[in-house]
Amino acid sequence: MERKTGLVFFPAFDWAISPTHPEREERLLYTRDQLFEEGIMDLPQISEYKPRMATHKDIARAHFCVPDVATQITEAHLFAVGGALVLADALMNKEITNGFALVRPPGHHAMRVAHGNRGFCNINNEAIMIEYLRQKYDLNKVVIVDTDVHHGDGTQDMFYHDPDVLFISFHQDGRTLYPGSGFCDELGGPNAFGMNINIPLQPNTTDEGIHYVLENLVLPIIEDFKPDLVVNSAGQDNHYTDPLANMRFTAHGYASLNEKLNPDLAVLEGGYAIETALPYVNTGIILAMAGLDYSWVREPEYRPEDFYETKDRMDYTKKLVSYLWEVWKNREELGAEKYPRNGDFLELSRHIYYDTDSIREQQYEDIRLCDDCPGYQVIRSRGMYPYGSSKLIEAIGIHPRACKSCQEEARKLYEEKKKDYQGVDVIYLQDKVQDRYFQYSKDGDVEVTDEQQTTR
Amino acid sequence: MFIGLDVGGTYTDAVLMDGRKITKKTKVPTDNDNLFDSLLNALDPLLEAVKGKNLERIVLSTTLITNLIATKNVDPTALVIIPGPGLNPSTYDYKVPHTFLLSGAIDYRGREIDPLDEQEIKTCAQKIKEAGLKRAVVVGKFSQRNKKHEEKVASYLQEEIPGIRVAMGHQVTGRLNFPRRVFTSLLTIATQERFRTFYSEVLKLLEQRGISAPLYILKADGGTISFDLSAKKPVETIFSGPAASTLGGLALTPKGETTVVVDIGGTTTDLALILSGEPLLASRGAHIDDKLTHVRAFATSSAAVGGDSCLQVQDGLLQIMPYRKGAAYCLGGTHPTPTDAMRVTGITDIGDEKQAVKAMELLGKDLGIGPQKAAEHVLEKTVQRIAGEIEAMFIAWEQEPAYRIWELQQRKKIRPQNLVGIGAASPALLPLLGKEMGCSALTPPDADVANAIGAALAKTNLRLTFHFDTQRNFYFIEETGVQEKLTDIDSLADAESFSMRRLKEEGERIGISAKEEPELVYSELFNMVRGWRRGGRLIDVCVQFPTGIIEYLEEGDA
Ligand SMILES: [Zn+2]
Ligand SMILES: [Zn+2]
Ligand SMILES: [Zn+2]
Repeated sequence: MERKTGLVFFPAFDWAISPTHPEREERLLYTRDQLFEEGIMDLPQISEYKPRMATHKDIARAHFCVPDVATQITEAHLFAVGGALVLADALMNKEITNGFALVRPPGHHAMRVAHGNRGFCNINNEAIMIEYLRQKYDLNKVVIVDTDVHHGDGTQDMFYHDPDVLFISFHQDGRTLYPGSGFCDELGGPNAFGMNINIPLQPNTTDEGIHYVLENLVLPIIEDFKPDLVVNSAGQDNHYTDPLANMRFTAHGYASLNEKLNPDLAVLEGGYAIETALPYVNTGIILAMAGLDYSWVREPEYRPEDFYETKDRMDYTKKLVSYLWEVWKNREELGAEKYPRNGDFLELSRHIYYDTDSIREQQYEDIRLCDDCPGYQVIRSRGMYPYGSSKLIEAIGIHPRACKSCQEEARKLYEEKKKDYQGVDVIYLQDKVQDRYFQYSKDGDVEVTDEQQTTR
Repeated sequence: MFIGLDVGGTYTDAVLMDGRKITKKTKVPTDNDNLFDSLLNALDPLLEAVKGKNLERIVLSTTLITNLIATKNVDPTALVIIPGPGLNPSTYDYKVPHTFLLSGAIDYRGREIDPLDEQEIKTCAQKIKEAGLKRAVVVGKFSQRNKKHEEKVASYLQEEIPGIRVAMGHQVTGRLNFPRRVFTSLLTIATQERFRTFYSEVLKLLEQRGISAPLYILKADGGTISFDLSAKKPVETIFSGPAASTLGGLALTPKGETTVVVDIGGTTTDLALILSGEPLLASRGAHIDDKLTHVRAFATSSAAVGGDSCLQVQDGLLQIMPYRKGAAYCLGGTHPTPTDAMRVTGITDIGDEKQAVKAMELLGKDLGIGPQKAAEHVLEKTVQRIAGEIEAMFIAWEQEPAYRIWELQQRKKIRPQNLVGIGAASPALLPLLGKEMGCSALTPPDADVANAIGAALAKTNLRLTFHFDTQRNFYFIEETGVQEKLTDIDSLADAESFSMRRLKEEGERIGISAKEEPELVYSELFNMVRGWRRGGRLIDVCVQFPTGIIEYLEEGDA
């Protein structure tokens, strides 16, 4: 097959969170102008695809939507994630060498339990795509590299207990930026310790710093892990002109990052310098993925002398990299130390805040510890909504490689919970072994299917 | 009364129409070495018939431009491009030996990013002069949003090189896509002069015959344009032949329905779609001579099969080859063809029956079946090939990228209600094709001159796409290259009524009747938000006098 880069461009010119929100109609307008004026879609190295509408089942593979899928989505969400799914199919059918879903709305802040919108995200495009790929094709190990300036806390949550999906996020330090997480000690749950690598960088880090991280940590870890698929969660807000963050990354830096990382699939995340960065960054990424010369791509005001690493910042970055490399190498011992196996379950609890929708969530997780498999998790979550209302849900998620006895246990648990659901609004069973998804509420037991595509 | 004249590759057809009635039609073979003779042979009988009556217009559709481009021995042209940042300009090979790259850049909003370099322009002009080039094309990225750089370079070249003709990209087309703008500009300058020569010859011939009716030419997008206006952008009239047959098909089918126009020829079957009564235009510009352009054209496709296709059996399977090897067996040829199969099954009476049977015997021997069965098999395969291509066209239409939710939602699966057959082999094959596809097959009696009918009845169309930038206080029109200062436009309603007014003015200028209804194709407003406040608005408005036919033929009128 000749080399082809698949592209889905879905700018959702008729969708916004609100008229002046960064996630509005205008966001990819200038990117459209630049890409179209360049004649990108005509290049023999590019195949443009039309997004399809994802189904409720596609979403239920990754999320527990409260109270149901239709409530958490709009048509724009179904097309944005559908764009990623179209490329995933094209990749697996060997129509394309790699693909970039240039879609909005974004998704990397959306977690397993979805009570509402967090950080401009309702549903997690990459997670839905990966679950889809795992079900439809023979795919075992996946790496997601989150190149957005914000910590991909949603994607981290999605795969925190999944040893088959390695999540690596570099981002501006959570002490200086939303969502305030993504520290080095968030390394994965007891079943997947070391499969979650956070690289918090200091504000003002430039191409040099990020490429140091890429070459000395991200790429060696990927090489070591030997994934079947590499996904770039491709935010563009590390750019030096981004209004929401403080990093110093350039269009050229993003392009060469994609050349080195060589992702199979990239999905657009954030990036809100809609005039000064996005037209150039997106052009650069596409050219790099298509194996074309991107050296002519540069921002209008770019002056190389404005970009340099201070010694302090570089020292910090280097120390961080060597620390995390040690963690990666010793992840098994460190995991055993942090989560000594006693008992069949480990209970975790935490508090989650939804900035966009002002929701507070209290969550308890029971992690099944099994010697034979990655097990299942039981989540109990109460979302406290503005104006005093709240919803309580219980959710069981079975890993695709769960052993027989874990599967049976989890399914039995769902049946038991259904019998005694006093005070619980919805009970979920996410059975990734059988690829079937159920939810139980006062309306009865409902299976989420591919036929459903409606929104509320 | 109208005259429609189609100078095609094989035949030249002409019709004289009185309202919806065909009063006279002619069909003569085209002599490619002497197009004017063919044209006159078809035209003269009609002129005779129209004597003393009111001839309102003559519309010509012709493959002339295609021929001009195909001959390729055009005078050498300098290409001066101002690409700015982005794609490495050498990614596209414009195949112009004298290509010059200038620094300077305009961005997507029309702001100057980098200034031009005067010294570079000087050197460039010097080299063009030394090479003795008399034509130049100047194209800048985003020049449709700010023509300043193109104009500066063009006027410098004109000052320095006496007699040079310069075309500027923004005047040729304002649609986004710089490489296509370059190709379209090159084709424009390459065809202009010869088109003028052709034009004045035709005028002279008509004058000699005392004809003063206005002369129009059909564009690839199915609209007519007065001959003198078309001389500015002759490249728009390329593919006027397929446009004529699509419109002819439209005229011959029930109003408002979804129809495929099927033109079965010698070795190809040309296809065009009419969706709910509207001929489908390609979403991107036409492919001309291996180059992608900005020329608007109908979405047409073609299946490599026709009445004269050579038939073979390979590994026990019937193959329809994409070429011919002489005439059909039943017409004195040496290879079996679908025409022979049609003769054997009795759906036509063209050619010698015995020879046709012999052809099918030859084929049947390799397939292990008798001649009758072989003929049926050939027709089945032929029809399936065409049906497959039609299906692929509908799928391609469904799969066309769209960038808005409403566009994605409205593109529902549809399939044709009718097939309308034009071209020699159509009447025989179309019923079979209709049966295969489950739709009605129409072979109207005047289908043989469908192209001429399409030309005669085509409306003058006009589409204008406005782009307003209220923050930078300017607007431009994609199709005309106009870039002007803007005042008093802030809302979508302002922009729409401004655009409508301009459309009507421009329509009047090019001869669109005041009775025609202009339509709003789309309008879209983007609020620019800077620091959580509204900073200005970008408004796109597209308005048009649509492509279509003047009057529908009604059954029994012909
Ligand atoms: Zn990140
Ligand atoms: Zn971000
Ligand atoms: Zn187990």
